[in-house]
Amino acid sequence: MDLLRRWVARQFTTRVIVLMPVAIAINIVLGATIQQALKLPIYLDSIGTILVGVLAGPLAGALTGILANLIWGYLLPAPVGSSTIGPFAITAGVIGLLAGIWGQLGLFRPRRTGAVNVIGAVVAVVLVGALAVYTYARAYASPEAFNNNVSGNSAITIDQSKVFFLVVMLVYVVLVAWAIFLRRNVGAVYAIGAGLVTGIAAAVVSAPIAAVVYGGVTGSGTDALVAAFRAGGDSLYQATLKQGLLSDPMDKMITSFVVFFIIGSLSRRFIARFPNGERALGDEAEAGAPAASES
Amino acid sequence: MASSAPGAGLPEYVTRRAGGFYRSANPSTKLAIAALEVVAAFVVPGWPGPLLVLGAVLATAAAARRLRGLGVIALAASPIVGSILLVNLFLLPGASDPIARFGPLAPTWSGLWFGLQTAARLFAFSAAIALVYLTTAVDDLLADLARRGLGRRAIFVVGAAVQMVPRTIERAGEIVDAQRARGMDTEGRFWQRARGIVPLAAPVVFGALTEVEERTMALDARAFSAPGRQTLLRVPADRAPDRVLRWAAVLAVVAIVGLRVAGRLG
Repeated sequence: MDLLRRWVARQFTTRVIVLMPVAIAINIVLGATIQQALKLPIYLDSIGTILVGVLAGPLAGALTGILANLIWGYLLPAPVGSSTIGPFAITAGVIGLLAGIWGQLGLFRPRRTGAVNVIGAVVAVVLVGALAVYTYARAYASPEAFNNNVSGNSAITIDQSKVFFLVVMLVYVVLVAWAIFLRRNVGAVYAIGAGLVTGIAAAVVSAPIAAVVYGGVTGSGTDALVAAFRAGGDSLYQATLKQGLLSDPMDKMITSFVVFFIIGSLSRRFIARFPNGERALGDEAEAGAPAASES
Repeated sequence: MASSAPGAGLPEYVTRRAGGFYRSANPSTKLAIAALEVVAAFVVPGWPGPLLVLGAVLATAAAARRLRGLGVIALAASPIVGSILLVNLFLLPGASDPIARFGPLAPTWSGLWFGLQTAARLFAFSAAIALVYLTTAVDDLLADLARRGLGRRAIFVVGAAVQMVPRTIERAGEIVDAQRARGMDTEGRFWQRARGIVPLAAPVVFGALTEVEERTMALDARAFSAPGRQTLLRVPADRAPDRVLRWAAVLAVVAIVGLRVAGRLG
């Protein structure tokens, strides 16, 4: 019991308590203004949550996610405040919780392209890919109805699970290739893989919320996908799950990728002062020029 | 250091003082009533739930002179309401009572009713929650929650976040304008816009993180982590009618959920 209390207390140092509102503001501002400025089909509203989770731990991450959505939904006036965000606090909590677990496992640590690291990255890619194959094959089990009803062309039979799995994996591979070949950092492979798993979990958790609270429609561009799946005969829950499995993993992969490089760009001294800071720092030689020069 | 008026530079929704009908009610009472309205809107089946809640919220907002604020909420909710109506009007699975036919599209009566009911439910939910923050200053809410035992760390996180958001939004707007002035394309093709994520997000994130060190030292200097209970400077009033209303709302929530579970609500 004492161990548990110390584990909880360790995640809520004064520094973490100060970081949490900053992270909440980052979530809301990036989700509300930058996303609107760029008009991209991703949310960008969990960078702060993942940052706190990785640096402080699962509970701090979960609490940051939950509070961000509650504040965004219920304490800020329109047009910044958005009541559709509030019920997704549960999803945000799960994202923060998982980010904390990934942080404790050291998945956001920079790694050089050595043989051991590359083998580890390949194993991670295979495991994440297997999980994604299983999830997408289970979720998109009835492609025929979709094609017959939506495209109106029953002669073209595209296996939805394969198409959407390929789209998500394409984003995964592009991000991984960018990290390895342009940034020379294998560590990003783990972070992006963690983002993909987080995205799948977020989709599974948010689907019933979107279905029950909003009838599957949240006023965003992804509503068209939900409508298409419903036209294909899917139930409300199936339609929102399928939509989530397309947009959430991509969003969380990009978000994790951005957080990985944010952590890599911050000074080692700043990172090391957080409860999980040491786990987010590689050896000085692995950490790259900006971080190495700081110490 | 020059002194300034309390709340100077902070937005009105942070510094607003309680006064007038419903606005002077205890924040926890308003939270309990909002919880009852949300539960009623979603748990009571059919039209009665959302319509009763909408009626109650609108009447309260009118008496508290906050109808205009609810109008802004309704305007902000219009995209989602439009989406709900369109999607259900044309694509409700199993609906077979067309209103008319427009080529391959056939809006249905059952889709229209289902869409209207979902939109009413959603607006009732949004309006119930919105009425709390339209009639309650955030610092009043936090002070009341602190009195009821919410920890100072949670109070600090929520209070600081609410105060920080307007400043960060302002800074983000300046960053967007500056990057556009440097030629960044935020209206072009997908890949061009996607390339803008890092130039826009990074300055916002790093700018916000620079405050962490200074604030940590400031809090440590003020013995933020010291054990013991803090003295509250200002505590919102909690009168007898507030307590009665609060407990009545809690009991009503239990009753509605119980009746629904027992199948007595249809």
